[in-house]
Amino acid sequence: MILVPITYKGGVYRHNEIIDLIEDLGGYIVQKHMIAQEVVLQCFVPKDDVELIRAIGKPLAGEVTDSPLVGTEIAVVSMSLEIHHLPHPSCDIAEYVRRLGAKSNMIGMARGVGKRIAGINDEERDVINEHDIAVFLLGNFETCIEKKMPVLLRGIEVPVVVCGGPDKEALERIVKPRVDGYVGNVGRFMHRTKESEELEKLDEIIDEITRVLSKRREEIAKDPLSVAPARLMDIIREKVPEIQYVTSPTPLTVQMAGLRVKLPYDTYADAVRKAEIEDGITIGGIADVEPSRMRDYIIVRVKPFSETNIVV
Amino acid sequence: MQAIEYFEVECTEKAGGENYKQIANDVLLDHNMLRVVHKIHIYIDPKVPIFVAVGTLKKVTTIVKVGDIANVNPLEGKITLAISDETYLSQMLKVFWDRFGKDHVEQPDRFTVVLYNVPATAAEIEEIKIADPSQSLYKDLVYALRCICPEGFRVRSENFGAEKFSFVASEDLLTEPVLALVKEKFALMGETP
Repeated sequence: MILVPITYKGGVYRHNEIIDLIEDLGGYIVQKHMIAQEVVLQCFVPKDDVELIRAIGKPLAGEVTDSPLVGTEIAVVSMSLEIHHLPHPSCDIAEYVRRLGAKSNMIGMARGVGKRIAGINDEERDVINEHDIAVFLLGNFETCIEKKMPVLLRGIEVPVVVCGGPDKEALERIVKPRVDGYVGNVGRFMHRTKESEELEKLDEIIDEITRVLSKRREEIAKDPLSVAPARLMDIIREKVPEIQYVTSPTPLTVQMAGLRVKLPYDTYADAVRKAEIEDGITIGGIADVEPSRMRDYIIVRVKPFSETNIVV
Repeated sequence: MQAIEYFEVECTEKAGGENYKQIANDVLLDHNMLRVVHKIHIYIDPKVPIFVAVGTLKKVTTIVKVGDIANVNPLEGKITLAISDETYLSQMLKVFWDRFGKDHVEQPDRFTVVLYNVPATAAEIEEIKIADPSQSLYKDLVYALRCICPEGFRVRSENFGAEKFSFVASEDLLTEPVLALVKEKFALMGETP
């Protein structure tokens, strides 16, 4: 069964029927937002049943759209948290990817600015590596980007998309080591992105992120995960009920090959490890449950089939 | 909106220079600096690296009085002020509190201030000085230039006089030739430092 990420947008009235339908079909709801009279469900559903959900949702004023970024956690890396980079463009981009279903975290580096003085520390590196993809937002000068990128990319293992002021060809030429995606003509600017060509640029960033993530999905498909992270989410919700009391917007953040559990590691790691999926298979058996560098959260990294010989 | 008479951004990288022209324009506009800056020339060389901003200022001598930001209407023992520009509202209230006491000053809504039984006529109230914008000018201008300048350039030299200013920033130590550079950029605008 191939699960595809979609967003369902509809009225509050009878939306439980849609939730039941998705669950009955074997899908998973990753995030649910209730905004006034509207419900937004970000979910994974079986590919063949998308039309069925669309048809059943239609009388309820429901709209189903493809959201390739649902179930991904994206690091938007800003060179600093100063007025120079915030709120534009960092927040504009972080917010835009959120609209398409991704969970984006903004990472402001302590010493990312400058040319000679730019650097990355171990905490920043580890936090970035806990995401599915990192989007680096750089400045306007080729000289600076060329000089600082080898330093900033040190130890980064996740796919990287670089956005910078020079055009795409220039970025491809100067960014070393090579990264997975490039978006040119989006450097530092000090105004809100509202003109149509600026919004097109944001779309270009989304396209590039989607392209890089699909490549990663293909790689994962070659050696499938022992369990779908979205399924783990349901199991943790059932077996570790304390997660219901976490007030974060996404207490369980689904990633492409794992899950972030926003509970203290020391207290709850064992409970997560021992949670049974089915037939005596526990989460600890098919996934690494590790402390996250982000606060005291837990990060669950699902092992591939080749390591466990199990697919549940 | 008043325009700047001379506004140039010179950069060794063409695309970067254009982006910085946009940044400088946005920042000066956002920080309300167009009323202050007469001419400005920005020079950036990321290879050195160095950022130079030189320029001249307009004369800002206007002292803001109550009459400039509010309509003063006396009526039966009370004086009602209809605020037209709330930029200096907080400073105005502070002046009133110090002078008349809080018991005599009331603000029933955002754009209205009422003074009860105050020992002053409407004409006198209109003449009360509430702010001197030129006092915070230096701070505002330096802040705006810091926003325009690339963030990594943290070694700065700021010079500010009544009519002219220069702002130099770099990642590395600023050396003697910087002064010559400042002079050269002033000359491009037809000015001397």
